[in-house]
Amino acid sequence: MNNLIELKKLNKSYGQGDTAYHVLHDIDLEVKMGELTAIIGESGSGKSTLINIIGFLDTDFSGEYLFKEQPIQDLKAKDLAFLRNQDVGFVFQNFKLIRGLSVYANVALPLLYAGKKRNEIESAILAALKKVGLAGYEKALPQNMSGGQQQRVAIARAIVSHPSFLIADEPTGALDSQNSRDIMELFKKLNAEGTTILMVTHDPRIAKACKRTIEILDGRIIADSKGRVAK
Amino acid sequence: MRVEELLITAFESLKINRKRSFLTIIGIAIGIASVVTILGIGDGVKKTMYDKFAHDSTEKYQTAKIYYTTGEESAMDGFTQEDVAKVETMFPQVKKAYLAHETDDLNLSGTVGEKQGTYAVSLINKNSAQAKLVCGKKFDRTVLLGGDHQALISEALAKRQYHSAYKALGTAVNIDHRNYQVVGVYRQHDFYDESGSIDKYGADIILAKAVYYGGKEMTSGNSLKVKMDVSAKQAAKLATKIKKYLNKHGSAKNNGSYEYDNMEQMLKQFNATIDIFTGVIAFVAGISLFIAGIGVMNMMYISVSERTQEIGIRLAVGASQQNIMWQFLIEAMMLTVFGGMIGFIFGGLLSHLITPLLSQAMVTGITIKAHISLKAFMISFGVSAGVGLIFGILPARQAAKKNLVDILK
Repeated sequence: MNNLIELKKLNKSYGQGDTAYHVLHDIDLEVKMGELTAIIGESGSGKSTLINIIGFLDTDFSGEYLFKEQPIQDLKAKDLAFLRNQDVGFVFQNFKLIRGLSVYANVALPLLYAGKKRNEIESAILAALKKVGLAGYEKALPQNMSGGQQQRVAIARAIVSHPSFLIADEPTGALDSQNSRDIMELFKKLNAEGTTILMVTHDPRIAKACKRTIEILDGRIIADSKGRVAK
Repeated sequence: MRVEELLITAFESLKINRKRSFLTIIGIAIGIASVVTILGIGDGVKKTMYDKFAHDSTEKYQTAKIYYTTGEESAMDGFTQEDVAKVETMFPQVKKAYLAHETDDLNLSGTVGEKQGTYAVSLINKNSAQAKLVCGKKFDRTVLLGGDHQALISEALAKRQYHSAYKALGTAVNIDHRNYQVVGVYRQHDFYDESGSIDKYGADIILAKAVYYGGKEMTSGNSLKVKMDVSAKQAAKLATKIKKYLNKHGSAKNNGSYEYDNMEQMLKQFNATIDIFTGVIAFVAGISLFIAGIGVMNMMYISVSERTQEIGIRLAVGASQQNIMWQFLIEAMMLTVFGGMIGFIFGGLLSHLITPLLSQAMVTGITIKAHISLKAFMISFGVSAGVGLIFGILPARQAAKKNLVDILK
């Protein structure tokens, strides 16, 4: 398999007719296994829309999306849920952890939705927490933890089922500089171990830390540090 | 997600907002408690009446009473010894048939102390070990065989007329134009005993049967008792057959009719009436369940609205729309079933508290006990689950249809 992700002439609009708002224009993109890619652009450039499509959250687009060389446009909602569960891990800007559930319970979610039993998943959860530096925090409640710790919990949840790739949408947006550096180090470490990571950011320092940078402006890829520039 | 994990997930979500969950189930608990209370009282009345008045299936022989009625004053008795012999011959299942005084429990006019009135009088032919004397003595053997005219009176009557049980001893009471000397005062029982028969010591006054009737053996009368070697279920049928036979071949068939009170039939009709009453009242109580269900639906809509982010997170990590729908539906049903079970327990307790008060108010001499049946439990469980399902489905479907991209913006 050459490309993990391949987008061909991908277009996305909101609304219809005269009020239609064209967000993404003819996006061509290939992502290989093991990449650490930053997608940068100003607010409203379309980067979040792009990763929502890449992460199977949004299937309302035209063009072609091949994941592991298979088209996903015609997949049913159930199949897309399966892909989200098995193949992609999300890390959001504001962590998006379920309040009231412990760290352990939050990290367990992807495994439970994969159909695993509670007594089968303990070792996987503890391993994920150890990887992100939160061993011993299983019973803690996220709302009582710092921003950096919460983001680590979110990363643990994203990696616990060993997905094909991670999508991080402004993962350091809600963190101070020290925590931001720590989180980036964690991503780099995960990437070094073979995890493919796509990261959306408007912070050039974060982009610099990634191996590949794709720049988006007004819904078009205007620069790609791999050498391909959109027309 | 596995079914058991879905149940645990739903339960964990309810635990997060305990106060709201508790407030939601109050309505269901009250509705179910009302229905169970009414069913408990209704079933208790039916069971009490059945236990007391139906044929006792544990008895070896069943007894039935057939009586003769003319509808007008007549000197002719309905049964003779010839009728007795006929019944014993024609019906081999009849172990023994005998003429009986129409009743040993009478309401007679008389004077006790200075009070003239009508008194409940029971006739006995032997003393009972269960009778508790307050003072004095019971009848001795000579009296029971038709000796002196002696009487026992109840403690309540003694206090009313003589202001104390002891002051009643030795006084004379006049019953049905004959004087009897009070030799003992007893603690009065309920009108009916545990088996449903009239309790002799539930009367105001006790006399020796042989003394009252003068000790003569009956050669004729208007009441025939039959002891049958059949099951409790067969007893009413056989007694009805005997009645029909007597109406065709009885010695006094032309002057009146032989009757048998089929208690089974009466109880059936009584039960049907009780069922209608309890059904109507339970239906009215059930309206509160409908209102509680609306409350559950309202709460679930609010919950779905407040937990939009959570729904988005779950969808993002791989939950299907079905998983989301089932989670919220199970949450609604867990709330209502839990509320229903609390209501069932309270309803059961309440019916046990109310029925003794009801017994007193009815003054029938019967102590009614509430009866909580398996049927009441199944109704509670089924209705409360049904309420959760019906009123939870729409909010659950709304949760499942949330747009993932809009939620996670």
